[in-house]
Amino acid sequence: MQSNNGYYGEFGGSYIPEILYPSQQQILKAFEEAKNDPEFIAELKDTWQNYSGRPTPLTFCKNLTDHFGGAQIYLKREDLNQSGAHKMNNVIGQALLVKRMGKKRVIAETGAGQHGVATALIAARLGLECTIYMGAKDVKRQYPNVFWMKQLGATVVSVAEGSQTLRDALDEALRDWSSSHEESHYLIGTTCGCAPFPEMVAFFQSVIGEEVKEQSQAQFGQYPDRLYACVGGGSNAAGIFLPFLDEKNVEMIGVEAGGKGLELGQHSIRLSHGLGTKGIAQGFATMFLQDENGQLQETHSIAAGLDYVGVSPIIAHLAQEGRIQMKYAMDDEVVDACSLLLRKEGIIPALESSHALAGAFKDAPNLPKDSRIVINLSGRGDKDIFNVAKAMNDETFPEFLEDYLADYKDHLNNADKGEA
Amino acid sequence: MSQLANYISDKRQQKPILSMTHVVYGYPTVKDSLDWMATLLEAGADFIEVQFPFSDPVADGPTIVAACHGALHNQKPSVEECLTDIGKLARDFPESRIVLMSYLNPMYHFGLEKLVKRCAEENILGLILPDLPYEQAGDLRTYCDAHGIDPVWLVTPVTPKDRLAFLAKEARGFLYCVARSGVTGNSNHNGEKQQSLDEYLAEINSHANAPMGVGFGIREKAHVDAITGKADVAIVGSALLDAYNKGGKEEGLKLFNSLFD
Repeated sequence: MQSNNGYYGEFGGSYIPEILYPSQQQILKAFEEAKNDPEFIAELKDTWQNYSGRPTPLTFCKNLTDHFGGAQIYLKREDLNQSGAHKMNNVIGQALLVKRMGKKRVIAETGAGQHGVATALIAARLGLECTIYMGAKDVKRQYPNVFWMKQLGATVVSVAEGSQTLRDALDEALRDWSSSHEESHYLIGTTCGCAPFPEMVAFFQSVIGEEVKEQSQAQFGQYPDRLYACVGGGSNAAGIFLPFLDEKNVEMIGVEAGGKGLELGQHSIRLSHGLGTKGIAQGFATMFLQDENGQLQETHSIAAGLDYVGVSPIIAHLAQEGRIQMKYAMDDEVVDACSLLLRKEGIIPALESSHALAGAFKDAPNLPKDSRIVINLSGRGDKDIFNVAKAMNDETFPEFLEDYLADYKDHLNNADKGEA
Repeated sequence: MSQLANYISDKRQQKPILSMTHVVYGYPTVKDSLDWMATLLEAGADFIEVQFPFSDPVADGPTIVAACHGALHNQKPSVEECLTDIGKLARDFPESRIVLMSYLNPMYHFGLEKLVKRCAEENILGLILPDLPYEQAGDLRTYCDAHGIDPVWLVTPVTPKDRLAFLAKEARGFLYCVARSGVTGNSNHNGEKQQSLDEYLAEINSHANAPMGVGFGIREKAHVDAITGKADVAIVGSALLDAYNKGGKEEGLKLFNSLFD
């Protein structure tokens, strides 16, 4: 979606410290040139296809459809990307842009760690130095991702400031960029931040919706009636929605994290139900969760990738215009939706994507049988094994962890002795 | 000419360089921060740059970030209270000036027009908002013009030459010259110097329509000496806060005196 000089309605813009001005201008220029350069686009498509496995399938879910007895349910399988999430689409695009700009290092923020892993993967492949900022709480919640980032050669910095989640990681990445902008690119993971990041990330993610257009035509001869996506920062939602913006008959539903309840601090609902208010922070104007003094507040979601305090200016604008309907799903509904997909279709969804499932499952029984909905399955759930086990109150898991830990420690002890 | 610029040029008749000391409002408590400001004013600080704390201060390094988060922990400082409190200080110390620094969001939330009006009422003559670039500040500039308040623009060693010339010409009150890349204070995020400070300041000076303040990385007397004669105001932020954190007002005052005596 083309911005109006960096703005989408009253949202977006570019509110950055003066020190970042030249770097931002450089990205603006490089992106404008790259997106109109057939060679760049060809390399992008080649890397998407041969490195990340695009196009990802559009999977019809017969069992789920029968289960609900309403709309025909399809999943857009972004979980099948290299790295296991849609994050790969964007990092490939930006990393190729980094090469084009002649920079040697990338900085990224990460919440769940999916963007961090995706960035570390492409950095390894393209020979870029890589530093990932991650909130200390997220490091704890998503340690397996931290492990892989380190193995891939990235430096992972745990951010112990503030709420120790995504927004603090984003602040710290911006600080790094303020000092390192000459050789480093800030590879932002979502459709947020100062212009042109929202537009650029949306451009790279729009491959999702473009493929759905072709696949839906091929599979059932028309576009879907409804699209569902979870909304954290908003990149997977922007990716599937934006190519359909002009298709007035296609309804779009974004699902935010309702967390544990509607009290401030218990959820990450910025757009639905008037819980967020307009603010300007972290480089752009959007709807934020903040208090009466304009201080950004803590958020919660069972899915680390959805607990961002702000939201894409593109999604905020389209929600304000009524083009996207916003809903939310609570933590327990999300775990139920995850569980249902596992059993009915043999697919393990990320808890982030399970929000989109939960939102769609609520509507599905009430939709006509000949209607078709596409849910963006933005990521796979392997990474969530610990959190899902806990949420499902699985009693065998702690035993496994204890045994595993004892064995692990034995192994380390023996290794120590071996060295001595 | 602006009231702030007049004040600086008058005072510069007596002093080779003026001092601007930075204090985070509400850190460690509102009372302590006001007390510390009064101490600095008694010691002869020409300016206090009062930072109203924000949860996400992206242009600041660890010392000031920690102070902002400290100021927001277990208390909810409001912009209105801050303006009232520092307005009283401004009246108690008419020989000095107080400027307000913060990030855009708390100010936007308070209302930019109301903010500028209240600043004028409290004789807070300058506003520093590091995440509000000139281009995005059309409304604020209009309000400031109407109330005789100066929005303070920043220039940096990497600001392109034509932009630097433009911002220097647009400067009101004073121009905030950032001495190096990176964020405030000592951190892992300090950039290298791009060119000699002398050349940089001379370049700005050739365009500047207002006095020049220099900040970022001023921690010892030699740093103040290095800009004396080339700029008008030395801005000391994190170093002063580091000293304050180490030994309270006494240690902070020791640093202040060592820099500006």
